Amino acid sequence: MFLALGEIRRAKARFALLVSAVALLTFLILVQQAIQTGLITSFVGAIRVQSAPMLVYPVDGQRTLQGSVIEPALARAIAAVPGVAATGPIAQRTFTAVVDGGKPSNAALFAYRDASLGGPGSLSSGRLPRAAGEAVGSAQDYTIGDRVRILGPGRSPAITVVGLAEDAQIQVTPTLFVRWGDFLAASRAVNPDAGAVLPGAIGVRPAAGVDAAELARRIDRADPEADALTRSAAADRTPGVTQVRQSFQLIFLLFALVVPLVTGLFFLIVTLQKSRSLTLLRAIGAEPRVLIRSLLLQVGLILSGGIALGTLLFAPLSQMTIGSLALRFDARSVLFWAVLLLALGLLSALTAARRVLRIDPFEATTGGGAR
Amino acid sequence: MRLALRELHRRPGRFVVATAILTLIAILLMVLGGLLDGLTAGSTGAFRAQRASLIVYSATAQDSLVRSRITPATRRTVERSAGGKVGGLGSIQLGARIPGRGPRDLVPVILFGFELPPKGLPSSPPGGRDVWADTSLRVRGVRIGTVVRLGPARTPVTVAGFVSDTRFSGQGTLWGSLATWRSVLAVNRPAEQAGAGVVQALVVEGATQRPAAIDAATGGATRTLTIGGAIAALPGLSQQQSVFNQIIGITVAIGVIVVALFFALITVERTPLYGVLKALGAGSRSLFEGVLVQAVAVTAAASAIAVAASLALAAAIPAGSIPFVATPQRLLTSTVYLLIAAVVGCVFSLRRILRIDPASAIGGEQ
Repeated sequence: MFLALGEIRRAKARFALLVSAVALLTFLILVQQAIQTGLITSFVGAIRVQSAPMLVYPVDGQRTLQGSVIEPALARAIAAVPGVAATGPIAQRTFTAVVDGGKPSNAALFAYRDASLGGPGSLSSGRLPRAAGEAVGSAQDYTIGDRVRILGPGRSPAITVVGLAEDAQIQVTPTLFVRWGDFLAASRAVNPDAGAVLPGAIGVRPAAGVDAAELARRIDRADPEADALTRSAAADRTPGVTQVRQSFQLIFLLFALVVPLVTGLFFLIVTLQKSRSLTLLRAIGAEPRVLIRSLLLQVGLILSGGIALGTLLFAPLSQMTIGSLALRFDARSVLFWAVLLLALGLLSALTAARRVLRIDPFEATTGGGAR
Repeated sequence: MRLALRELHRRPGRFVVATAILTLIAILLMVLGGLLDGLTAGSTGAFRAQRASLIVYSATAQDSLVRSRITPATRRTVERSAGGKVGGLGSIQLGARIPGRGPRDLVPVILFGFELPPKGLPSSPPGGRDVWADTSLRVRGVRIGTVVRLGPARTPVTVAGFVSDTRFSGQGTLWGSLATWRSVLAVNRPAEQAGAGVVQALVVEGATQRPAAIDAATGGATRTLTIGGAIAALPGLSQQQSVFNQIIGITVAIGVIVVALFFALITVERTPLYGVLKALGAGSRSLFEGVLVQAVAVTAAASAIAVAASLALAAAIPAGSIPFVATPQRLLTSTVYLLIAAVVGCVFSLRRILRIDPASAIGGEQ
């Protein structure tokens, strides 16, 4: 241990370079993980947060609320499927709004008729809307008491935020859960030519004892126009979510490969460089396990230092918001990556360890240690 | 320099791991850049294809095409004040039923209605229910003459031709007349239907007035942007570019560190050899040039492998999944970034080479 620490102290620059490489890589991985999580949460958070256990889209809607229209006949067909306990219309659209007389900004209205079928499932503070003109807002964008006015050529009711829900954005836009009547008023205010305002999806509550996934299959069989999904499937299969995941997984894979390769290469070269000294140590009685322990200690220290530094760099950044996208310090994901990178890094030191094990103390008498 | 090249030639194994790491970093750079290019191209094509220089939204639209509504009265004011040719533009995103695909296998498309043709489209909008399709829809089975049925109303439109690089919001586009757009909108999205003469936006070709003058003439009812400004205002685009470019920058910095680390270690290992070479008359400059040549060669090899891997990846990725494109420009710039990183990384070894004393060759350092 003394030798391991002594070597690090004497070759600070070399080890510092490796620590900074590991720190930068860790920082990048954590930032990208936070962006991926934040992006998906902001993209489909409202679908996860809303209270309906199942959502039924029209096939034409391609699983996007804003792009869907449920015709009355389809709504009736869904309600008539055996196993459906209750149904309620859900719709969503993005508007231009002014909050407390400030600058115009985007606001997505997520509308429901029955709070238990499309309303916000749980609130972080405040209460559910009880009257027209009240809403629950996404907690990162609104505060209780905010007054939101939808901008358009027509007259739109003012909406007051009376409750807040965490992770409740949709399409990376500040989101308000509103009652159906307010949604109709807002839709007509922005488009005086608007015809019938139809729901984009139907929220479904399965009857007691009916499995949601099985009911989804039953609804799909009952009407070829229906595309029924459980709440989590509706969030995961929203267009774009899979592509975001796949793109980031490709990047994570490449970054995760670079860390052990850099660490492995570094310690392999260092081991080769000091092979003469290691041979001498073996010749005067140092056990191979002592040398291996010393090597692994260095690897562990360097990786831990790099990962800790990378995490420290990431911590202040994780409190930031990029546009409407809120990043977050997710301790579980930080721990996951720390353990994975440490394990991969230690694994990568195996080649160097093998070199150490192959040292023959007899070589010290012939000078072969330098070979 | 010759010695350095000979070492590379005779003992390539020494450089394999460093080349592998740099290859991974090069692939990372090219994948990150390719993803950014793919996302940008797929989101902005319809605007980049415009011949017009300006786009006019309604003031409350927050620069969003789907939220904008321009009335005939506002249009007349813009026509009087802008100079140049003014044309309407409308869009709607729908599921498209394409013959040969399953009843649930719809393709998301955006139908644009236009008056002033973007690049690659005929000089006047197609008549009847004819549309021109973006070439990206070919892989979905769209051909000339294909009847595509749009939205829940299954509104039929017939593909009369193809236009390239006009994707928007990551989706393939169809281009028809404003009348086609208006009728498709009315039956498929009654809540969003546009009244007579109403369009979502106006495009202005050969405008003689500045955007601010047009907005002033409409009394603040409009917000006029250059096409470049409209692209930059697309939701999330600028944030996306800035985040990706920062990640690319840090990845280049990691490249610098890897090269610095590797060649610093190699230099330490070669210190006695460099001492001998210096004693024989070699200058620090020629020794550093050798390190530089090796770093550049290793990086060039890594970049070449990464270019091949990126091209293979672009060919292997199925259309419509990961938005990745490998453009020659991106591959070239990534290679240049890495070569610069290699040169910068080598500078860390320069100080050590300068400090080598030729006397060390005869044990003078003892």
